[in-house]
Amino acid sequence: MGADKVDGKASGRAGGSFNNKSIETAATGAQRRPRPAARTLKSQAMAWRMLRASLTRRRARVVIALLAVAIGATALSALAAIAIDIPRQMAREMRAYGANLLILPEPGRQTVPASTTAQIDGLVGDGDLLGRAPYRYQTVRINSQPYLAAGTDLAAVRQVSPYWQVEGEWPSRDGQLLVGADIAAWIGLAPGDGVELEMGDSKQRFTASGVLSTGGGEDSLIVMGLEDLGQLAGESGQYDLIEYSVAVSGGDVEALADRVNATVSGVSAAGVKRLTESDAYVLGLLKSLLGLIAVIVLALTMIGVSTTMMAVVAERRAEIALRKALGASNRSVEREFLGEALALGALGGALGAALGHLCAELISRNVFHRHIGVTWWLPLVAVVASTAVAWAASLIPVRRAAEVDPAIVLREE
Amino acid sequence: MFFRMVKAALLRGRSKRLMIAVTSALGAAVATAMLGVMFDVGDKINQELKTYGANILVQPRGAAVVTEFYDLQEEAGVFHGSLAEADLPKIKTIFWAFNILDFAPFLRTTATMDGGAVDVVGTWFSHHLDLPTEEHVAVGLANLRSWWDVEGGWIADGDEDLALVGAGLARERGLRLGDAISLRGLQADLTVRVAGIVNSGEDADNQIIVPLAIAQRLSGRPGQVDSVEVSALTTPDNDLARKAARNPASLTISEWETWYCTAYVSSIAYQIEEVMDSAVAKPIRQVAESEGSILAKTQLLMLMVTVLSLAAAALAITNLVTANVIERAPQIGLLKAVGASDAAVIRLLVAEISVVGLTGGAVGYVAGLGFAQLIGRSVFAAAVSPRPLVALLVALLVALVVLAGCLPSIRMLLRLRAAEVLHGR
Repeated sequence: MGADKVDGKASGRAGGSFNNKSIETAATGAQRRPRPAARTLKSQAMAWRMLRASLTRRRARVVIALLAVAIGATALSALAAIAIDIPRQMAREMRAYGANLLILPEPGRQTVPASTTAQIDGLVGDGDLLGRAPYRYQTVRINSQPYLAAGTDLAAVRQVSPYWQVEGEWPSRDGQLLVGADIAAWIGLAPGDGVELEMGDSKQRFTASGVLSTGGGEDSLIVMGLEDLGQLAGESGQYDLIEYSVAVSGGDVEALADRVNATVSGVSAAGVKRLTESDAYVLGLLKSLLGLIAVIVLALTMIGVSTTMMAVVAERRAEIALRKALGASNRSVEREFLGEALALGALGGALGAALGHLCAELISRNVFHRHIGVTWWLPLVAVVASTAVAWAASLIPVRRAAEVDPAIVLREE
Repeated sequence: MFFRMVKAALLRGRSKRLMIAVTSALGAAVATAMLGVMFDVGDKINQELKTYGANILVQPRGAAVVTEFYDLQEEAGVFHGSLAEADLPKIKTIFWAFNILDFAPFLRTTATMDGGAVDVVGTWFSHHLDLPTEEHVAVGLANLRSWWDVEGGWIADGDEDLALVGAGLARERGLRLGDAISLRGLQADLTVRVAGIVNSGEDADNQIIVPLAIAQRLSGRPGQVDSVEVSALTTPDNDLARKAARNPASLTISEWETWYCTAYVSSIAYQIEEVMDSAVAKPIRQVAESEGSILAKTQLLMLMVTVLSLAAAALAITNLVTANVIERAPQIGLLKAVGASDAAVIRLLVAEISVVGLTGGAVGYVAGLGFAQLIGRSVFAAAVSPRPLVALLVALLVALVVLAGCLPSIRMLLRLRAAEVLHGR
């Protein structure tokens, strides 16, 4: 039993990290000294064979190293994609606060011609246009009391001002309107009640399908479809103002307003400073939060990847020593091991880039119900970074193992 | 004997143990930082969303139809109520007083300046309040209008002869900083100096904003205000809050208590109505509603990012532990060969890895707290409070992950035949 133990230990340690077949390959590689002309070609073929053998044979270890790199690359590409794309997505969410670009009549004019909308839409661009609600205001009377009525595109308002709260129903057909909560309380209207609006000589009966409450000016407003207001007050083809909800923030809104002012005549565009400034501030905050998180998590993950790579390589000291004992040069040993690391890094990086995109897409889907934007250079960065980390992490243990006299390493076993 | 073996194992392959310790430290650091930030991000973002302005408007009961469409209403001669200035400090004494971040009263009037009419708004800029609770706070417009560009500067508490002038009005009338303007109000004539020019992108661009006392004197309404804007930290609305907002009387007693004791915007508004005479407080939906949706999105996002980071950290640790155990197959084979039972081997292994992993985890926890502070300080300029829950979760996570890392190797160990391993197959 005792002899068995000593014996077993020696061969076990030596053989534990590689098996007999690898000794054969290493030995044949060292024995045949090809002529100079054919040397590069042959040694290249040999290197490939050794690489392939090394990767396929010790499956468990390769899987572990590959997993480590892939996890790192997944975290990298997912977090980077999130940090890059989410603030952009969030800019859309910020529009829960309502329109951030107002189109008003040019100074000296009273109204905005309806015909300008197409031109302004074009300047905003399809991708960034989240909603456009034109408004036309008229004073109307209910029981001889004056109130302000707004005619608008009700479907568009629901997109532009998602915070409007309607008790009852949104108007779904002609002859229905929304009454502001203050007016409803004042004259005692409940959703579904009829109400007669007067304007000049024309009178018309409407149904107050819902009561609108926003806590703002809309509470003392009567809101109806443009066509209904047109019937009451006469069509004009003119608006008093147009609200635009645009998926940009900060200075970009002002730049857009300047572009509109320069190209569209008869209007004066301005960003809603309260929203644009606050959006820019909150988005900046979110951007730096995600950026910082990405950097910290990445730094930690990459260190984790390198410890695993180092562990996997360091454990092959005996193998390295044996190759050297059989005549391999430091350079050829390094080349082989680092080549292996590069292959693992690239493969793991590619795997991670794909997985990372999936993760980012999953998050974006769940939080924003939208696809994550594709950043074309991100997979490239993931592959390059993980290859570099795998290579750098292998460099130290391989160098160290190669520098030690093989006799010492092998005797230790 | 067991402890001696564990000790020996820990000391012998020091560099390998160190790697496990380092990896679990990294994992614990990521987990601590992410969990810490995740639990805190709601409060922090909520606070930052205050930059959009007030979320509750308090008005006199009966003045319901006034608000923005002010001109129209004056013509109509609708009853114009008022709130008492003396009631204002009571806002800071409600159940959720701590959540009231800021508020400012407004008194609107008109005055004649150089023969033309101008809108004058009286308010507090940064008003010092002594509360009955012996607290001292400064409230006012300065924080409620973070988006205003004020050329010159805000008016300090107590400067009664200064005014802010809207940029549009200043351009129109050719006013510059330091100019004196005489205002002829409904009840008094006063002269104020231009202390700042406001670029706000809203109505204020065409108004003169003065200390509340000045507006009261101009209009002859001492001790009165028209409205109060309140900025409060709130919990996003849920079904209960919506039900209560429609009619608080419709709630059962226990529902009512839950609602009253939660910082919903509707319950805070309700409590303000309770303390202020003849006041109606209503949520400004544009801010209150949107806050909730942005907050929910941000929290969900942070949760997902945290889960992703935790998964990555957990996998990394598991992976390394597995690698470490597998490579020790010969040693374990030897142990079995000299007669150790499977259970004994597993005990030894788990004990050793646990000691290393948990030590690393403890170090990582401390580092993670540091990272969380770094994020909190550089992004929100505020500390992230350490929570016992985070420590517990991290400890649990590291323990689980380290054990999970041992699992595949334990399965392998049970199949291991000593002789085969030692022979090198």
